Amino acid sequence: MIEPRARELGFLVPGAALGFLGLASVATARADQFELGPLPGAFAVLGVFLAMHVALRIRAPSADPYLLPAVGLLTVIGLVELHRIDPSLAADQAVWVAVGGAVFVAVLVLMPDHRVLERFRYSIGLGGVALLVATMVFGTTINGSKLWIAFGGQTVQLGELAKVMIVIFLAGYLREKRELLAIPTRRIAGVPVPPMSALGPVLVFLGAALLLVVVLNDFGSGLLFFGVFVAMMYLATGRAWYAAVGGGLFAAGALAIYALVPRIQDRVSGWLNPFDDPEGQGFQLVQSLYALAEGGVVGPGLGRGFLVAENGTTVIPALETDFIFSAVATELGLVGGIGLLLGYVLLIQRGFSIATDATDGFSKLLAGGLTAVLGIQAFLIVGGVIRLIPLTGVTLPFMSYGGSSVITNFGIVAILLVVSHRSHARGARRLDAPQEEEAVRG
Amino acid sequence: MDRSIRRLYLTMAGGFVALTVLLGYWQVVAAGGLSNRAGNQQTLQRERLVDRGRVLTADGKVLAASRARRIEGQRVFERIYPQGSLAAHAVGYASPREGKTGLESTYNRFLTGSFGTEPILRRLNLREKRGADLHTYLRSEVQRAAVDALGDSPGAVVAIAPRTGGVIALASAPTFDPAAIATNFESIAARPGAPLLDRGTGGTYPPGSTFKVVTATAALESGLYTPTSRFDDTGSFNTPGGPITNFGGRRFAQHALREAFTRSINTTFARIGAALGAAQLGATMSAYGFGKRPPIDLPEQEVVISGRRQDGQLLPNDQRGEDVARIAIGQERLDVTPLQMAMVVQAIANEGTLLAPRLVQRITDRGGSVVRQHSPEEIGQVATAQTAAELAGMMQNVVDEGTGTAASLSGLSVAGKTGTAETGDSGRNQAWFIGFAPVENPQIAVAVVIEDTSGTGGTVAAPVAARVMDAALGGRP
Repeated sequence: MIEPRARELGFLVPGAALGFLGLASVATARADQFELGPLPGAFAVLGVFLAMHVALRIRAPSADPYLLPAVGLLTVIGLVELHRIDPSLAADQAVWVAVGGAVFVAVLVLMPDHRVLERFRYSIGLGGVALLVATMVFGTTINGSKLWIAFGGQTVQLGELAKVMIVIFLAGYLREKRELLAIPTRRIAGVPVPPMSALGPVLVFLGAALLLVVVLNDFGSGLLFFGVFVAMMYLATGRAWYAAVGGGLFAAGALAIYALVPRIQDRVSGWLNPFDDPEGQGFQLVQSLYALAEGGVVGPGLGRGFLVAENGTTVIPALETDFIFSAVATELGLVGGIGLLLGYVLLIQRGFSIATDATDGFSKLLAGGLTAVLGIQAFLIVGGVIRLIPLTGVTLPFMSYGGSSVITNFGIVAILLVVSHRSHARGARRLDAPQEEEAVRG
Repeated sequence: MDRSIRRLYLTMAGGFVALTVLLGYWQVVAAGGLSNRAGNQQTLQRERLVDRGRVLTADGKVLAASRARRIEGQRVFERIYPQGSLAAHAVGYASPREGKTGLESTYNRFLTGSFGTEPILRRLNLREKRGADLHTYLRSEVQRAAVDALGDSPGAVVAIAPRTGGVIALASAPTFDPAAIATNFESIAARPGAPLLDRGTGGTYPPGSTFKVVTATAALESGLYTPTSRFDDTGSFNTPGGPITNFGGRRFAQHALREAFTRSINTTFARIGAALGAAQLGATMSAYGFGKRPPIDLPEQEVVISGRRQDGQLLPNDQRGEDVARIAIGQERLDVTPLQMAMVVQAIANEGTLLAPRLVQRITDRGGSVVRQHSPEEIGQVATAQTAAELAGMMQNVVDEGTGTAASLSGLSVAGKTGTAETGDSGRNQAWFIGFAPVENPQIAVAVVIEDTSGTGGTVAAPVAARVMDAALGGRP
């Protein structure tokens, strides 16, 4: 059997090849502008991934071999597309990928055992909430949403980091309370309800998710927090009705917000009937659909679609962030779009597989929760740009332009790989030892 | 917990399957419909990258062509019109923002090179993105004469080659500069006189006495009348809708059908119409193409159907219970286009055979090989060759000694018929002239309408027709 790290190195090759091929395609699309400018950056990114690979060889040799190649593929396509939209965007993003790589290596080096996180779950949870509160209080409003905090010249989305911290907290908290939560002690209006001591914080969390939508004017993050929360509740208790009741509560809250906040009403009407107001409320979505239609089955190739107008504006506002998926799908067609979606499915498949392989409840919840963060986020934004669901401004993991998101997501991958390494290393050692019994069968 | 993890994974994977299905819907199933939506910049951009084919006159003048420009390293093309507004309505425009009209719209597939195997060859990079050229029947000197003769006053000229159906002139005044569409569309559209309207194919007017050509056709074809059939005019003909009188209240007493035609005697044609009845007159109208969209190669919305209308609804040509006597002299809610009247004279000039009017004679790819060649397309036999010859003789009389003398050309025999339809305002008329020349060997059939004039068909429309026919027949000094 091929050893995991060798396997990983092998699977990094196609991603790298695709990156260089993509750059060549972009360069030749404008025949008189052939430049070697992006090549140093491309090699630098390749170097970052090799460094991550080497760090894994040293610190987590038994970790899953497919996760990093999947991340590499998505990152590379994102970078090429950003380079095609505006080379300076790709240059920024490459720097952030490098920082993300550094964070990745730092996690591997500083945190040989992720279970240390379980001990600090409440501090981490409080820290996450503090970051959100800080955003609410000191935040700068960009594009109508208050998600950024200005540090010097840079703006940082602390919410990105907060979401990881809250997943860590939930993994610890639910690991501790899952027995209590799983067994209802009484019924309210026919609905089985677990004891208040366990449910209280849960309800607080629910309210906080809705508050986030209102105060930060950010429907996407609210939905993401809530989705991850419901997913983790389900993982912890194995009770589908949690998801159902939680979903119902959230729907009720969302309806209330819909009735109260005009901006949300505009969003929803722009989603239901984008062609009623193609120059106004429906503009982004209509342009996105036009771009998808233009791509067809195979698309004209990277660099050959119509994404940037003569005056330098992108045909879809927020193309490099929210609509990066549309950009790829118009240039690479349905084939490329499905390729990206398969990339994300591979990502979550590996993530959940790591969760399954993990040997203790905390690790399972942590890996499952972090995987859910990535998957739900990808689903929300892709669903938004292809009009499956209303458009929410969350980032497409590893592809959207934005430092906070890229850096955080590399951190998530590092934690997942640490979990993977621990369970495999231990699993290998304890092949003949009895499996740790779970407290409650899910 | 592993079971929950698996179920969560399957749920999320299901979500991604839904994304895939919807993505496929947009990129494959709905793609065509989205591409055709007005204002789709993606489609417009794609077309900008194509070296759109030229539109040429029969004598090789370039009406529309594409010029390459480099924008951000990309070769894009913009439309230029070397002849300015010469044939603006026929050629139309192809504007990224305002869409396409005229031949630019009808033949978009050829102009962009999206026909046959071209798209596949291009995809394989075996062929450059170049569209095919349209060679029209339009003759620049005839078109120029029509435009000049019309001047700025609203009106239209449609000239057809009687033997082929080829449209050799299609002019509408006021006109516009197609090059200005890209920058000035709103102001052009707002100008008085609706310059964007092609009055030749889309303007409708009461035909007035020109319709007597149709009535005369029905009369001769019925076998009940000959050009020498005798009539006795009392100056008035009574119908259920009130008495019909002659222009200027005249009374002609004893005369032949030929004379009734030459002098455009209303009472006699009313009498003929009443005698023929709705079915017979309607059948002749249908044979000439009234009530159907003329099958010219222009976009449907630019070609209006001629016939009788009530509240905007087209009535059948043989509608019963109508005042046929009034229809016979071109009244009773008859609305016709200059193109339809040009088709009427084309049929007479072509021994009674009506041909489909056609602007584009052939389409060639950039290698010069013919992609498509037009051959005359018969719509039907409207009248026998004998009837056509008798009509031609009567129409020649009109120009020689009747109401149409202003259309005469020295040394050439011209056949024609004038028409003067009154508008709501007294003293303001729609003036008509329809005719062809030379009578022995017809080369041009023409219909002229001048809107809202104090003159008559004989005084304002006939001279325009004379200039156009003169240009078509060699432009003698």
